[in-house]
Amino acid sequence: MTQSTSGTPVLSVRDLTTSFFSQRGEVQAVRGVSFDVHPGEILGIVGESGSGKSITCMSVLRLLKATGRIKAGSANFDGQDLLALDEADLSDIRGNKIGMIFQDPMTSLNPTLSVGEQVIETILRHRKATRAEARARAIELFELVRIPSAADRLKSYPHEFSGGMRQRVMIAIALACDPRLLIADEPTTALDVTIQRQILGLLRDLQARLGMAVILITHDLGVIAEVTDRIVVMYGGLVMETGPVRELFAHPMHPYTRGLLASVPDLRDDTHRRLTPIPGSPPDMAHPPAGCPFTARCPHAMRQCAAELPPIFGHSQGARCWLHHPDAPRIAGINEVAA
Amino acid sequence: MTEQPLVSIRDLKKHFTVGRKLFGPKPVLRAVDGVDLDIRRGETLGLVGESGCGKSTLARTLIRLYEPTTGSMVFDGQDVAHLSERDLVPFRRRVQMIFQDPYASLNGRMTVRDLIAEPLEIARIGTPESRTAKVHELLARVGLHADHANRFAHEFSGGQRQRIGIARAIALEPDLVICDEPISALDVSVQAQVVNMLEDLQDQLGLTYLFITHDLSMVRHISDRIGVMYLGKIVELASNTDLYARPSHPYTRALLASIPVPDPTATRPADPVRGEIPSAMAVPSGCRFRTRCPMATELCASSEPTLRDIGGGHLAACHYAGTELAA
Repeated sequence: MTQSTSGTPVLSVRDLTTSFFSQRGEVQAVRGVSFDVHPGEILGIVGESGSGKSITCMSVLRLLKATGRIKAGSANFDGQDLLALDEADLSDIRGNKIGMIFQDPMTSLNPTLSVGEQVIETILRHRKATRAEARARAIELFELVRIPSAADRLKSYPHEFSGGMRQRVMIAIALACDPRLLIADEPTTALDVTIQRQILGLLRDLQARLGMAVILITHDLGVIAEVTDRIVVMYGGLVMETGPVRELFAHPMHPYTRGLLASVPDLRDDTHRRLTPIPGSPPDMAHPPAGCPFTARCPHAMRQCAAELPPIFGHSQGARCWLHHPDAPRIAGINEVAA
Repeated sequence: MTEQPLVSIRDLKKHFTVGRKLFGPKPVLRAVDGVDLDIRRGETLGLVGESGCGKSTLARTLIRLYEPTTGSMVFDGQDVAHLSERDLVPFRRRVQMIFQDPYASLNGRMTVRDLIAEPLEIARIGTPESRTAKVHELLARVGLHADHANRFAHEFSGGQRQRIGIARAIALEPDLVICDEPISALDVSVQAQVVNMLEDLQDQLGLTYLFITHDLSMVRHISDRIGVMYLGKIVELASNTDLYARPSHPYTRALLASIPVPDPTATRPADPVRGEIPSAMAVPSGCRFRTRCPMATELCASSEPTLRDIGGGHLAACHYAGTELAA
């Protein structure tokens, strides 16, 4: 897989800021997120619950719940700012040039329509085609996502499929109009490992064959390592670290990324070595801290960290951490490569 | 093994009849379909398998939330499979459960003090004052503060709620704690906190754990022995080291090969297993894994393999386990 960091990005998100408003007040879910997705790459967005990873993508697609509001930022796709488009232009893009897959296929599919009908509907909505052409395309799509006896299965209803097969149907719908970008939000989280492996393999194959860009949102570091080219690590509504997947796993620059990688057991290690958790819990986004949101849990926190939010230091790999300021003290493994 | 195991399960079955049918027999869902399993004192026995394999039903049957269909469950010398509700009371004190969802398993209208003291009250242990003292001690054991006692569960994060659930489970000083996916609802950074705490409690209190999970990396970390379940049966059982070094059932091998490894440079096998788990209402003849098995033969369709020792206490239910063909 090539990591194409040159050329025009498919999607370019800048300073995205999204809040939710409730009786408790404002919850600052996303606080100025920027990233690019390049043609033909799989970008992973990884983070724990409440990090803002899903809200980031829901904001880009403008699919927020009624209590959510995008306060600032832009999302450039195909020469247009998705955040400024009117609803009619936007629905031309959603499901057409941008495909979407979500965690739970059962809630995304209409239980009262056959799956074939739902695929055909998507095609007819965005393409000039006869019903027969759309049906032929639907069969082709089912074959593409390896649903056995594709033509027969078009007549089935969502409840007649297993979780893995439903996710294949969702992928078929997402790919119906040859999207340039596919956004997949925890697509395999609800699935068993053997089925997860099949779906991840399918996604990777399809991405390589169709050449689209993919954003994969997940909390699973294994899934990230397995399929993505580049990663964005989110925490507290912010991008904490970003970089090519191999570099980032080999040399995490941010103490949070380091902590995350250290807290999962290594399958290849049978020593019962004690796990290294990150102490404490994530910040309350109704009252986000002024400085770096990881300060309270960080083993290397300095006075500066609580006082002021650091910028992102670095280039192709970068981290939002004061330890990468040229004047910061040297800490082995973080800003000093071990000899 | 000279010492008697704490739990000894033999040919345990839990079948559910489902749906309505006017004529003919009602369809039967064979959730647990002939399980033999020993849990040794002081060990952590991991039980892994995909959804629908029967691992949670097995746990719920073991604590008699479900009535077993047939089979025996001997706990510390006594068969508890068919005890009456009244005779179950002492057993129920000695076996406790930690549930997956710390949001759903704690009553939101009760304070933390009342949640943790409830098992003590039901067992009529101590006075209200001594129970409060015990609650404070339990809170300290699970890394919470005494002043958390008067708050409600919804004021806590997922990880803290799971700590409350654990304090509740150990309040009666049980012998066996069944952990049913205790960390799957938690964030990665918090999972390790809870696992370390479970390990500490085991050392301090001499607990035996049955640890049920679908997370094959975590189960390796925490377990002494691991059983792999498929469609209602245990298909392989071995020590933690042995299972990962010499997986001998094709299903175990497929499971292990499917785990996403958090290392971008790792080599990954192609789809290690085809198809999906069959319905427990239509279990295949012979070996129940044969419909997905890459090495299935005619023998597998006609004869069901038994769980047998293939060397050094490593059990596998495959006709070809431990033979040339399986290598």
